[in-house]
Amino acid sequence: MASLRNLAASLNPATSTDDVNRAESREIDASTKWPAIFLLGSAVVWLLIGTVFALISSFKMHSPEFLGDYEWLTFGRMRAAHLNAVVYGWSVNASFAVAFWLMARLSRSVLRHSGLLIVAAAFWNIGVTLGIGGILAGDSTSIEWLEMPLYATPLLFLAYALVGAWAVITFRFGKSQHIYVSQWYILAALFWFPWLYSVAEIMILLTPARGTVQALVNWWFAHNLIGLWFTSIGLGAIYYFLPKVLGKPIHSYYLAALGFWSLAIFYNWTGVSHLIGGPVPVWVQSAGIVASFMMIIPVFVTAINHHMTMLGNFDALKNSPTLRFIVFGAVAYTLTSLQGSLMAVRSWSEVTHFTHYTVAHAHWGMYAFFTMTMFGSIYYIMPRILLQEWPSAKLISLHFWATAFGVTLYVADLSIGGIIQGLLLNTPVLAHKFGLQEGTDPVPFLDTVKAALPYLKWRSYAGILITVGHVAFAINFVWMIVRSVEVTKTKLTLFCTPTDTEVAAR
Amino acid sequence: MNRAPLIFLSIFFALALSWTGIVLVNQISYGSLQPVYDENDGKAYPLQTPGLAARGKLVYQDLGCISCHSQQVRRLGYGSDIARGWGERQSVAHDYIREDRVLLGTMRTGPDLRNIGARQADHTWHYLHLYDPQITSAGSNMPPHRFLFETRKVIGQPSPKAIQDKLPEKYRPKAGYEIVPTERGESLVEYLLSLKDTYAYPETKNVYVEPAPEAGKEGEKK
Amino acid sequence: MSDNPIKKDPRLDRSGLSDERLQEVHSILLREKPEPKEGDTPLPLFILGFVTAVIFAGIIYFVHYRGGLETGFHKAALIYDERYDPTKAGVAGQETKVDPVAQGKLLFQTCAACHQATGIGVPGVYPPLAGSEWVTGGDERVVRIMLQGLTGPLKVEGKDYNGNMPAFGPGGGYNLSDEKIAYVISYIRQEWGNKAAEITTDKVKEIREKGDVGRVKPWSFEELEAIK
Repeated sequence: MASLRNLAASLNPATSTDDVNRAESREIDASTKWPAIFLLGSAVVWLLIGTVFALISSFKMHSPEFLGDYEWLTFGRMRAAHLNAVVYGWSVNASFAVAFWLMARLSRSVLRHSGLLIVAAAFWNIGVTLGIGGILAGDSTSIEWLEMPLYATPLLFLAYALVGAWAVITFRFGKSQHIYVSQWYILAALFWFPWLYSVAEIMILLTPARGTVQALVNWWFAHNLIGLWFTSIGLGAIYYFLPKVLGKPIHSYYLAALGFWSLAIFYNWTGVSHLIGGPVPVWVQSAGIVASFMMIIPVFVTAINHHMTMLGNFDALKNSPTLRFIVFGAVAYTLTSLQGSLMAVRSWSEVTHFTHYTVAHAHWGMYAFFTMTMFGSIYYIMPRILLQEWPSAKLISLHFWATAFGVTLYVADLSIGGIIQGLLLNTPVLAHKFGLQEGTDPVPFLDTVKAALPYLKWRSYAGILITVGHVAFAINFVWMIVRSVEVTKTKLTLFCTPTDTEVAAR
Repeated sequence: MNRAPLIFLSIFFALALSWTGIVLVNQISYGSLQPVYDENDGKAYPLQTPGLAARGKLVYQDLGCISCHSQQVRRLGYGSDIARGWGERQSVAHDYIREDRVLLGTMRTGPDLRNIGARQADHTWHYLHLYDPQITSAGSNMPPHRFLFETRKVIGQPSPKAIQDKLPEKYRPKAGYEIVPTERGESLVEYLLSLKDTYAYPETKNVYVEPAPEAGKEGEKK
Repeated sequence: MSDNPIKKDPRLDRSGLSDERLQEVHSILLREKPEPKEGDTPLPLFILGFVTAVIFAGIIYFVHYRGGLETGFHKAALIYDERYDPTKAGVAGQETKVDPVAQGKLLFQTCAACHQATGIGVPGVYPPLAGSEWVTGGDERVVRIMLQGLTGPLKVEGKDYNGNMPAFGPGGGYNLSDEKIAYVISYIRQEWGNKAAEITTDKVKEIREKGDVGRVKPWSFEELEAIK
């Protein structure tokens, strides 16, 4: 039946409802053009800057003399600058762009007052620049995920207020009554972020809470920034692009609903798992551990939903760059979340807490899941707003393989290194059992450092690979914007020549 | 049916729940802990960080030392913190109540520093270690902090703070020059030396005690 | 879906419109699939079972490690050991016996920075503790070194050393109590094959209060030779 409608639509595009929608989409895309280009352009710039900071910090980890004489390039500042550049620069800019494009499309509303969004984006980027400059100059707050000095935050708040106001306007004007699952996630994220951020700023920096209450606020904020902002936007994008590219509905509405609400309820308690064994009340730690464990519900449910949607369409991975990145991201989401649940278990946390294992976990989530999903989304969005194709399929391919292989190597390498470091550092009896050390007394601390060094070196190699991918992506991105070629009919930039336009719909 | 208000309300309550449980409840239940006055010592613990050390803490923050060093000791039997001599007891909330900024940290690329002042109380050791960690801890991957020192010409009396005589041969400056810690370097070392949690608050005794063998079954019933 | 014959239909390309320009614009639109929707596959039953099981396990865990929550938030806020049970506090043997050698081993971490964990020291700088007569010999000399430190050249077991040992006693940077000094000495006297008696806290106190009570100056080799 559906195929009959498709046939009718294809024979007479101007009259079918689907094509009315398509024409409308064209209009909506055009309205998002400038804000999206501005946001994504700044995101790409921050991605490159963040990558440079990352490489410098990674080299310093195994070669401490590297650039050792410059105070502003010292490891502690480089690492904070890296984190803030990729989180607040790259990730937030990219997620703004993707979230708004999705919101506009899904609520079927032409983006109004896009000037407001560009002003907001400009404020945001000035704020981040000021903040990272501040970190390098020595004004870091040393609060993890909130290192930017207090003077950068009013700009960020202002930017976010504009964004929030704009989102409310857009959503009110929406014609569509049905609220699609991606919209739940994005709406929730837009609402949660200012709450998290303002509580953290007030209780840690403006009027510091006493003692370790600060640490609880810190991790409630930081883990929720990942869980309630980046995860929400990332999952929203997957829920949109997966069925969109495949041209079939998401497997089950009920699974989607269960996944969303269980994430909303459980995720925001998990931050305490960063403080297991620390000087915070043990009942809060237990609550955080239970919540992390509960996270296997949304993860499992969402994974089933995505997998069942993909089922029978794995061929499409050969063609579509978007799908390839998105599926990589979705798989990484499942795996990193299960790893997160495991890491919260007390006996596993005893080994891996305070080690490079945590760093591997963070990159699995923020890079393999979130960043890859954003790459996939950008590959879909840019041709639609620019009405141009990506200049080079080879560069896309290089981008995918370099980053996919790079981040896999990164995560595997640091996970193993982290476990070895953790066994030597924390559980000498176990380390002895696995033959890592003689005797069951703790080995000298320096031995734990030396044991991790080879893995830190391999991390740098993985980082170089990822950098290659980023450079390929940036070249393609800039190339696409600057060249002035008109619409190129149906020739798509895909990994192989599609015989079938519909399947290959990117 | 437009369910937007319902969705909005639910996402509000989802976060409100954890905000209450993690932030609010703890702020109320221990967010106003007071120092403990010890009549034997005539002091209120934890002690206030002295002035120069407080400035050193700012240096610790701006250099991002927290990226590699934690400041928390886990309980006996959980991790090897106490077995490593990083503290005599587990860190408790009381230890941090005088601190405007709590730097618990989440990485131990370097050792825990919560009690470094009790463990390594020697100024010179810290200066040498900061100048180049290889001097005192060969094989360490801590970056050198030579920017916390200045090499300057000796004018008149040599500075009593100069460290060049204690440095190994290859680090020594030309004759007539001396290496002295800058004000930032000095205050950082003061801060490190001030880090020691020696007072045992009543709650540090809230620890699990292995039940006697015959009471073993009792314990399981809980 | 993928085997839909329509997709391979050649009419797709020449359908509807003949105007070259219009087709061009539409080409971008035509290759887009419809906006996604949610399917209505119901929840499989095993998911409900799975969710229930996970929630059940979570509740059990939390109740087990609630950390004294039943005594109220204020009291529970000061409990940091998940195994501690406030209702049983004081029941089990609170008086734990302290093993001075084990305690000394913990404290020795500081000493190991110079004397090494193996107790063999560093040639020319830090003298060995393993097999050293200075450690296993008379009480007074070793206690004095611990209390006020040692500076300048010295000779141990026939070899020359020239280092600095800081004061560990009261008033110094380490400010160790008599008790802890006794622990450390007891430990180094019984490790690495050393066989000498433990030292008591009272003995340390006695030595500290005897003679130079207010002394802060580190000892020199010559002075110590005189003590023995």
